[in-house]
Amino acid sequence: METLGALSILLAFCLAIYAVVGSVVGAVKHRPYLTKSAERAVYGVFFLLTVASGILVYALLVSDFRLAYVAARSNRAMPAVYKFAAWWGGQEGSLLLWSWLLSLYSAVVVFTNRRKLRDMMPWVLTVLMATQVFFLTLNAFVEPPFQVLAVGKGVQAVADGQGLNPLLQYWTMAIHPPMLYLGYVGFIVPFAFAIGSLVTKQPGDAWIHTTRRWSLITWGFQSIGILLGAGWAYAVLGWGGYWGWDPVENASLLPWITATAFLHSVMMQEKKGMMKVWNMVLISATFFLCIFGTFLTRSGIVSSVHAFAQSSLGNWFVGFLAIGIALTTGLILRRLDYLKSEAHLESVLSRESSFLFNNLILLASCFAVLWGTMFPVITEAVMGEKVTVGAPFFNKVNIPIGLFLLFLTGVGPLIAWRRSSWDSLKRAFFWPTICFAVTVVVLVAFEVRHFYALVSLGLCAFVTATIVMEFWKGARAISIKNKMNLLRATVELTHRNTRRYGGYLVHMGIVLMFIGFTGAAFNKDTTREVKLGDHFKLGAYEFQVKEVADGDNPNYLWQHAVIGVSKGGKFVTDLMPEKRIYKASEQPTSEVAIRRQLNEDVYLNFAGMSQTEADRAIIQAYLFPLVSWIWIGFWVLMMGTIVCLIPSKVKYSYPKTEVVGAYAKEPVAR
Amino acid sequence: MPKNPWRGRVLLTALLAFSLAHGATPLTNQRVRQLGEMLHCMCGCNSSVTSCNMINCHFADPVRHRLLTLVEQGAADKDIFAEMETTYGKAILRQPPSEGFYLMSWVMPFAGLAAGLTLILLLIRYYFGRRPATAGAGVEENSPELAKYKERIEKDLADLDQ
Repeated sequence: METLGALSILLAFCLAIYAVVGSVVGAVKHRPYLTKSAERAVYGVFFLLTVASGILVYALLVSDFRLAYVAARSNRAMPAVYKFAAWWGGQEGSLLLWSWLLSLYSAVVVFTNRRKLRDMMPWVLTVLMATQVFFLTLNAFVEPPFQVLAVGKGVQAVADGQGLNPLLQYWTMAIHPPMLYLGYVGFIVPFAFAIGSLVTKQPGDAWIHTTRRWSLITWGFQSIGILLGAGWAYAVLGWGGYWGWDPVENASLLPWITATAFLHSVMMQEKKGMMKVWNMVLISATFFLCIFGTFLTRSGIVSSVHAFAQSSLGNWFVGFLAIGIALTTGLILRRLDYLKSEAHLESVLSRESSFLFNNLILLASCFAVLWGTMFPVITEAVMGEKVTVGAPFFNKVNIPIGLFLLFLTGVGPLIAWRRSSWDSLKRAFFWPTICFAVTVVVLVAFEVRHFYALVSLGLCAFVTATIVMEFWKGARAISIKNKMNLLRATVELTHRNTRRYGGYLVHMGIVLMFIGFTGAAFNKDTTREVKLGDHFKLGAYEFQVKEVADGDNPNYLWQHAVIGVSKGGKFVTDLMPEKRIYKASEQPTSEVAIRRQLNEDVYLNFAGMSQTEADRAIIQAYLFPLVSWIWIGFWVLMMGTIVCLIPSKVKYSYPKTEVVGAYAKEPVAR
Repeated sequence: MPKNPWRGRVLLTALLAFSLAHGATPLTNQRVRQLGEMLHCMCGCNSSVTSCNMINCHFADPVRHRLLTLVEQGAADKDIFAEMETTYGKAILRQPPSEGFYLMSWVMPFAGLAAGLTLILLLIRYYFGRRPATAGAGVEENSPELAKYKERIEKDLADLDQ
């Protein structure tokens, strides 16, 4: 079986090379049959990688410990779902998943465009398959997943495997990496179309129209992946943090930020024919940041709890990035004439300029995160000593930037395209500003003195007001005109322009997340050694350690504390935080107990029994106000993304503004 | 030869029961928790000394105990951080020092933002600089020709705001 798997990868590698050569030669020499043949090779690559992946998954499920990968990443006692998840639990398997997803995306691209964009497609395929060749090189020659455990001249299986890292044996971890990879890999599609458009000197925005949905879906997957990771960290790492600014977490955030900037600035190109070069730069940056993120995770260049083992992969990625960035930059520079703006900025008080500022702030945030992530490497190179850049740095730098971005989220929809008058701005800003002021005053009255929390919650009210006003104005007009109730009118309004109102829902999701982030300013925690039966307090809650029990199952040993939670003298619930020691790896983990509520989460971690007095349990108790709003915001964000993907009921055409009259360089022909 | 399962279980249970809380005890001191939040755990977990959840962490546990000793001796925060830096190097601090080359870490993100802002302002100036200083000479304020364009602009704007 493993021979067939390895052979499939090797054949896929050869076919991918053929697809690149066939596409380029077919396009240059105008040989359509060669292009067609290259397209079919893409299906072949997908089939072969499906076979290879299937064999690896089968080996994991049946615990075929002759394979080094299976022995290192799974064991017999693991539940089947985690055996399956072990596919991406290690370096070799996750690289195979990367390749398989890329081949799947490529096959879908070829199929959905089999009768469209015939000039561009060979170049799109060239980019897709060149990237595929790179990853297949890693699969076939650098990190092969089908190595067998060889002892002497024979092949020998071990009795049991080492098991998947216990921290990864959690349900969100089973789907977090594939979601993130669907995002990472997916961004290559709009990038490939952008390059195809540049090479073939396509007039207009064909590549943008074709890839708008791809970009949005991919962005959605990336968002899901990031939030699942945050949910995992919150529930598994035992200290209640959902974002630790770990280099690998940052690596997933960087392309998400540039992709968000792209999704905004692309509207300028569609509606006004502006920012064409900028959009090329953004989509290219997004793709290369995806590759850079993969490089960070796998090269060991920065220390991270999420990183795979240190390997020689780094040089391969550096080479790929250097060649790719050089070629892309060269191509954009050569095609600047085709990327000229069709309109100009006419006023600082315009939607266009708000998009510019939005992009600036997003990019500043991206730069700040990238800079902080790479600063330890820079200091080591310059000063010879590695410094640490942790959460305190990232929070100090990114909180003001994030708040400004939140402000722009509210401002953007209030400003008209081209230009806004002061009067219209005053009218538009009146109620949102009132909401901001009232929120801040009320919070101050309730003795909230945290500056950032006040600004953040005030801005959340400000942006919410702008979004509600947008829905209200449109829905009310429809409701009056069509004599329908306001709720139905809101649905009708959203259906008429799903992209616009779906976008507002996404903004609302971001606002809810900011409410959740702001709650961190009011976190409380304590660590206590408590005798069995004794009580301790935190905030309005009282905790009683009722019992400590232990036991085992085939996978791990466990010990848990039963803790009664009361509030205001009334019993609320029992929580059972647990410690585990996994037998295969002898690695201990914490299973925290969380009582989730809209206003605050009660979060308990059982650190074990005291060393000095055996009847005392050490309990870490935390109160996390508003944290549930992060997850609610995520669902609203997802809902908004799905709404954006639904075709609008009314097809709008956006006439690009021509410069006419006295400002025109030449008279406009009529 | 197969391992004795009982021996393994006894060992694991002993590990679970007696050694879990080794590094947790100092954390019952609030100041140790606060100081530990500003120190980087170098075991590879990438968390703070307070937050590191690795049981029996070879790095966080001794540092927590040392912090507790220093706190009980009445040492000031400044002195505690200085001792930590002397013992473990700058890498133990969770944020770069605001001095010398390390100051760059703080300055650069905002310098990048300022550079971007300057670029946008220059772009706006460039666009506005290309506009004529006076209003168009060839079209009268109330001419039908201008009215036609105004009407078209209004229609375009209405479409764009949909």
